[in-house]
Amino acid sequence: MPSPTPKPDDPAVGVRTPSHSHAGAPTVLKIVIAGGFGAGKTTAVGAVSEITPLSTEEYLTEASANVDSLEGVEAKQTTTVAFDFGRLSLPDAPVPLELFLFGTPGQDRFVDLWYDLSRGAVGAVVLVDTRRLESSFTPVSFFEDIGLPFVVAVNHFDGAHRYHPEQVRAALELPTSVPVVTCDARNPSHIAGVLLTLVGHAVKYAPAGPNHLTPTTTLQDA
Amino acid sequence: MRTYTLTRGRTRPRHQLGLDTVLDAGHGRPGPGQAEECAEILSLCREHRRSVTELAGRLGRPVTAVKILVSDLLDADALVVPVTAPYAASGTDADARPSTQLLAALSTALKRKWPDAIAYPEAG
Repeated sequence: MPSPTPKPDDPAVGVRTPSHSHAGAPTVLKIVIAGGFGAGKTTAVGAVSEITPLSTEEYLTEASANVDSLEGVEAKQTTTVAFDFGRLSLPDAPVPLELFLFGTPGQDRFVDLWYDLSRGAVGAVVLVDTRRLESSFTPVSFFEDIGLPFVVAVNHFDGAHRYHPEQVRAALELPTSVPVVTCDARNPSHIAGVLLTLVGHAVKYAPAGPNHLTPTTTLQDA
Repeated sequence: MRTYTLTRGRTRPRHQLGLDTVLDAGHGRPGPGQAEECAEILSLCREHRRSVTELAGRLGRPVTAVKILVSDLLDADALVVPVTAPYAASGTDADARPSTQLLAALSTALKRKWPDAIAYPEAG
């Protein structure tokens, strides 16, 4: 079965003026926060989100999330992945903005979810627990591969040995261009600082141009 | 209620919706016989526009199930996708990124909200 392509005359398809005014509706930006189990993703999302982080579930097909055929269905494994969502309204920005924060688990079988979340994102934060550094390898490689700007934030846990950011950089084999910072994921100012670092980093890769709607953007494919 | 009952056996949404697609309440009314969850979605979206992910999280239902219900509500004009919402790129345009102007606006807004936040100097 082909993917459900909406009919051209479908009322919800294509650029149209909504039936009520959305003038001044904020532009949505999103940031992905990836990290291993227990790295502090939910805490980090909650530190700056104006809503309590929501845990949301999605089904993923292990082989591919974009399976259009029902053939061979019996061979596919479906798993459930939980990820966190938080949001932040920034009405006082030069243009009204709403920031979406997605906290995602670090296992490589979730790359389909990461693709979805990374599309059009400002960038990603890889949150690192130095006691489980290896759980950061997969997200780091993923964001490098797809060319999404990312920063590494080392979450300092009480009682854990504190490594210098440069030691973490060396262990993760990160180029000097990738910012590595330390933070306390519970501290809103720290997480805001991490996000600011990411935004500063992402600017280097950003397209110029004032418009936030590219000509190829369609309403339904957001 | 089991998820497949909620979606009346459907496993696929009729509209292509992203995890970050934002929904706003529209003027249409949902068709008859809609799941209770549809009323909940509408009520949430009347309060504040919500992303697909947020709706799924608040309903405690999987994203795909929520996308199926949202598709029904879009067909009925009970929900609309606000024109400024589709920031993210379309499926094929994976490279679309926020412009420098938008990033500058985000930076300014974050600094205003957390004046003591420190952006670490750029490495390299």
